[in-house]
Formats: sequence, structure tokens, C-alpha cells
Amino acid sequence: MEPACRKDKPKLNSTPTRGDRARQKSAQQEHKQRQRAEIYALNKVMTELEQQQFESFCKQMQSQGE
Amino acid sequence: MTGPTSPSRTGTSSAKLSRHGRSKSTSAHCLLRCAAREESAASSPNNGARSPGEEEEKDGGVLFYVNRTGFPIEGVTWERMWSHVAVVHPEGQEMADRIRNAAYLPKHHVPSVPTFKPSMSVPDWLVSIQNYMKALQYNHTGTQFFEVKKSRPLSGLMETAREMIRESLPIKCLEAVILGIYLTNGLTSLERFPISFKTQFSGHCFHHVVLGVYCNGRYGSLGMSRRPDLMDKPLAHRTLGELVAEFESSYKRYQHTLKKVKIGLYVPHDPHVFQPIEWKHLVLNAARLGAQEMRKELEKHGRDMRMKFAAVTHTHTRTQRHTHRDTQRHTHKNTDRLWRNLCCSPKNVDQFI
Repeated sequence: MEPACRKDKPKLNSTPTRGDRARQKSAQQEHKQRQRAEIYALNKVMTELEQQQFESFCKQMQSQGE
Repeated sequence: MTGPTSPSRTGTSSAKLSRHGRSKSTSAHCLLRCAAREESAASSPNNGARSPGEEEEKDGGVLFYVNRTGFPIEGVTWERMWSHVAVVHPEGQEMADRIRNAAYLPKHHVPSVPTFKPSMSVPDWLVSIQNYMKALQYNHTGTQFFEVKKSRPLSGLMETAREMIRESLPIKCLEAVILGIYLTNGLTSLERFPISFKTQFSGHCFHHVVLGVYCNGRYGSLGMSRRPDLMDKPLAHRTLGELVAEFESSYKRYQHTLKKVKIGLYVPHDPHVFQPIEWKHLVLNAARLGAQEMRKELEKHGRDMRMKFAAVTHTHTRTQRHTHRDTQRHTHKNTDRLWRNLCCSPKNVDQFI
């Protein structure tokens, strides 16, 4: 191949660069942080639900006992 | 522990139901496991309130999911978690969307991992560990975030414990036992052993596990549960029988009848040990044994464990006379061998099934 053609030949570089890897890692970290925030928000709601159900069950058992 | 009438997930036919171990799954998806889980102290017939005590794969259970693919949680597992809570919660999808679509969610503080200081007493250290676990919170989402296989070598489970600390997410009772072991490793004056409970409520069986601890003639426990009196107990109980009786008494408050108690052996402090935790060295059928007989067996087991520990410690001291390099190799192998030799087959008292 002539040198001119070689210069025009596009680079087939599929290897991620260091910058790409750092960006990927950062994106992954953010994704994890968002998941963690959602998990704790969800856990708060589900904990409250469980507590409500437990209290209403206790009341039910108490009234049955009486 | 989920109650027997918790909402069932009949729409999850695409999920696999697995009762035993999951490591061979080729699917990246989490598996659905039938679990007797811990929730409210008792379940009401209609609203799905749940009962305390929790483990896995047992009757009277409610389906729950397990994340097997690490972090960040992959798509299928994540979506399944949200689908599950949308079914369980009265506000359904609206609740789920409110959280998922929130532009801003408060960042839950990452609790500091407790660090042992020489000036700390053992009880103080246990309180510090328990506070850390409480700060992680009990996991009510219906999806277990860390996969714990009880048959795994201790070294592997310690890696899972490190992951729990790294990811800092809510945990359930079995995860708390593993984490408790990890955080008490090295405190050689403290012995740790699993205590598993099988209870019955309204015709259904429920399972739970805590980490029993023993130090200087006193027993206590670490753990996580939906109910505060089914987890940590102070190092104040003179005998193992007393500690178990305390749990039984707590269960009675929730109208749970204790059916079986399984006591494991002391867990080695060496985090690199290859052998698995011995979860059920002593199995007691509480339904068949009287209270006194149970106490007697538990106290005997406590004495046996202390004697076996003394034997292992003595032999371990002898192996330390090797060169440092040899000791590294020998310590792990010898510790494994010694524990295997001392672990006879589980003692089933009164024809435990």
C-alpha cells in the first residue's frame, strides 16, 4: 500500500483509552450511588409499611383476645 | 420472616424457583427463592403482615429475590425488585415511580466501619458492631442484595462481608451473621457461633439466624431482624440455655412457638479458612424436649464447645513453632484439619427430623 493511502486509512482502534475507562468507572460509580439512594428511599417506605401492618395486626390480636 | 399470607407473586412465572444453592446458575438473572422470612411478628390473614424469623427455602414462606450479579445491580434484578414492591405496597406502581423518577433523592449516609481500639471492652465493641449493622438497616425491599451460600468456605463468605461493607446496603439476618463474624475476627477472647431458630405461627414455619457470641463466661448475640428483640442480646447470659430461653421468650411475644434450635460450632478467627461454617452441630427439637431438657443439652453443648476450643488453641500454639512461612501454610491447613476432626456429625437430640 502506498504511504498516502496508509495515512488516509482510518484507525481501527477499539481498545478503550484510559480516558474512556475513567469515564466508564465514573459513570458506574454514579449509577451505583443512584441505585443506593433509591434502595434506601424504597427501604424507608417498605419499613413503614411493615410497621403499620405489624401494628394493625397487634391491635387485631388484642381485640380478638378481649 | 414473611408471614404465610404475604402477597404472593403469581405473576413471576418467568422467574426460576430454587430451593437449594445457586452458584451454578448460568443465568445472569437473580433466582426466585422460596423463603420463610422475617417480617412482622405475626401475619394477619388478609393484609400480608409478616412474622419474625427468617432464613430461606422453607414452608410457609414468601418468595424473595436475591441479587447474584454484584454491583451495580443489573437490569433484570433491578426491575424485578421494583415489580415486587409495586405488588406488595398498597400504592403500587405510583410509589415505585415516585422514587424512581425523583430528580433528587437524599444520599443515605455511609456508616463508618467500626474500628477496634485496644481501650474498648468486648461489650463496647459488640455494641459498636451492632450499631453499624443497624445503620445499614434491615432490608425490607424484598430483594436480598448479597448472596450468602451457607456451604461456602469461610474465606469466601468473608469476601462477601467485605462487599457488604463496600456497598453499604440494607441487610437481612443471614448477611448480618456473616458480617458479624467478619467484624469480630481477630478478637480471640470472643467466640462466635450461629444460632438458628425454626418457629411456628398459624400453621406455618419460619426461620431465623443470629450470631451467638461468648466471652469470659457470658453469652450474647449479634444480628438483624425486623423485631428488635430477635437480634442482639447483651453479653450477660450465664449459659447458652439462658440465651436461647431469652429468644424463646421474645418469640412468644409474637405468638411464635419455638420448634427447633440449631447451634453451630465456634467459627475460626482465621478469615482464610477454607472450610465452611458449621451451622448445625447441635439440633434440638423444642417441640419434643421439655424446657429443662433443652437447657441441659444447650449447656452441655456450651461446655463441649469451650473444651473443643481449648483443644484447638493448644494444638494451634504448637504449630506456631514452625517457620513463619510454614506457619502460614500449616495454620490454614491445620486449622481446617483440626476443626474437621473435632466436628463430629451433628447431634440430633430426640430424633430430630
